[in-house]
Amino acid sequence: GQRQLLPLAPALRARLVAAGFQTAQELLDTGPCGLSKEIGISKEEALEALQVVRQECHSDATQTAGAPGTSRKCTALELLEQEQAQGFIITFCSALDNILGGGVQLTKITEICGEPGVGKTQLCMQLAVDVQIPECFGGLAGEAVFIDTEGSFMVDRVVDVATACVQHCQLIAEAHQEEDHLKALETFSLESILSHIYYFRCRDYIELLAQVYLLPDFLSEHSKVRLVVIDGIAFPFRHDFEDLSLRTRLLNGLAQQLIIVANDHKAAVILTNQMTTRIGQSQSTLVPALGESWGHAATVRLIFHWDNNQRLATLYKSPSQKESTIPYHITPHGFRDVQPPAVTQNPEGTELNPRKRPRREEEK
Amino acid sequence: MAPKKLRRARLSQELCERLSRYQITTCQDFLCLSLLDLMKVTGQSYRNVQKLLCKVSLACAPKMQTAYEMKVRRAVNPSSAFLSTSLHGLDKVLHGGVPCGSLTEITSPPGCGKTQFCIMMSVLATLPVSMGGLDGAVIYIDTESAFSAERLVEIAGNRFPAYFDSDEKLFSMTRSIYLYRELTCGSVLKRIKSLEEEIISKKVKLIIIDSVASVVRKEFDTKLQGNLTERSNFLARGASLLKYLAEEFSIPFNCKSEDLL
Repeated sequence: GQRQLLPLAPALRARLVAAGFQTAQELLDTGPCGLSKEIGISKEEALEALQVVRQECHSDATQTAGAPGTSRKCTALELLEQEQAQGFIITFCSALDNILGGGVQLTKITEICGEPGVGKTQLCMQLAVDVQIPECFGGLAGEAVFIDTEGSFMVDRVVDVATACVQHCQLIAEAHQEEDHLKALETFSLESILSHIYYFRCRDYIELLAQVYLLPDFLSEHSKVRLVVIDGIAFPFRHDFEDLSLRTRLLNGLAQQLIIVANDHKAAVILTNQMTTRIGQSQSTLVPALGESWGHAATVRLIFHWDNNQRLATLYKSPSQKESTIPYHITPHGFRDVQPPAVTQNPEGTELNPRKRPRREEEK
Repeated sequence: MAPKKLRRARLSQELCERLSRYQITTCQDFLCLSLLDLMKVTGQSYRNVQKLLCKVSLACAPKMQTAYEMKVRRAVNPSSAFLSTSLHGLDKVLHGGVPCGSLTEITSPPGCGKTQFCIMMSVLATLPVSMGGLDGAVIYIDTESAFSAERLVEIAGNRFPAYFDSDEKLFSMTRSIYLYRELTCGSVLKRIKSLEEEIISKKVKLIIIDSVASVVRKEFDTKLQGNLTERSNFLARGASLLKYLAEEFSIPFNCKSEDLL
């Protein structure tokens, strides 16, 4: 590099020269601690000097490749403000919403594990509808991407769930008679809900990898998407993989990309996983598939399971909520509570929060 | 369903030649490499490699449809969405019958009537659409030699005496049922892989596998540890092949199995 005169105090410059430093890069490479020891100045002074040097270098060097666009750091306070303003996607099962801390969180990966038939896809379809609830009804007015690897997506079922959701909002609108409710209902219809679920059928792991690589571009073009479902993440990886280390690497890559997508686009990512039998020494247990290292991918882990004839959801892993188990039902209208939530209605008999909806005869 | 070659992903000739020197010839090879490895083999920058990844992904990724488009497509052809079982109660519970385009599994302890049910479904599939059938051929993969042609004719004649009023009609129905006897897991898998062309050429509308459990049980003794993985592999591979065929051709599949675990 060229020799330029850096704007440092003469005394400091003298020490640097005496110590043998010749280029700015050398200084930057040494770091503040090394510099302070070598020249005999305090760490703070060394840091200041380095910051001056760095500014000088960057102001006339051409822009270095790979400079990060959006910086992903912030203080915990900024994060707290973000989290508190964060929207949730409700599940329509208030017990489940409660143990999740409000519902399915945006910017996080939530994994649902469970045996076949327990209700994982049902919840995914419910969420693909619920994410679209207009803001005046307490929703996010978002859209959904549904990546299906098993062919479990049933359009007729989504029609049932969406119809029930629209009816629910209509009841609220009738009770309140507010203009923005009625206006929102003009565009919140069965047709619009179905039109905003973007469905991809991935038949093997290559199609899945390809689709996840293309997700950032898709979400940039469809900026209202607030939910990405991958139902199920395990199926394409459970056969044809003799090379387990390749599988682990590909899954880790997928997890990383999904975390970036969730953060950059403020979307919730839901993954469903199968259960597999782990053969122990004396007994075998059911554990989530894809191995132990995969367990680190999701921020929140739910396990759906049976207890006799009752379906249960257990919150198994969460950074902020405690482990708990609640029962749930799959009804013709979708994913629901087992019992009506405690009805605490004031004399006007109105509740703005759609989770505490009034019970009608057609629901259990 | 063989892995797509990179030239069809519209990568430049020059790049394809360079990659083939590293044994990277298919999209699968390309997408399984890490970013660093890709930079090394292509000799390109991080940003360019990301663009190449998008290009190759576009060649492999599925087409998007909205749920609305899927609903409209089903509404256009409602009768082809299900194959009625002719048992009113069962049809009601199944919302119309055995769904076309997906796998249906029938399971029970031995002797309950699974094979009889499959034989009856075979007859139904050959009936004209006006009678609730699919007016097509049937592929019956038999692993237990349980299929009886005499029983098939007996059921057809007794259930639909008005339609099968002549021997000619009965024989014509039997000609549309293609029976394959497969005795090992490997041969079952091979047979499934070969079905794609048969389905088109023979106008197949129903595929039955009777039964999955018997071949699996014969070959995989699950008391031996390694076998559980092998068996899962076979089942998973078979399942994904069958699902592909079911969805591609919109045909119902019946797979029988007894308690496997």
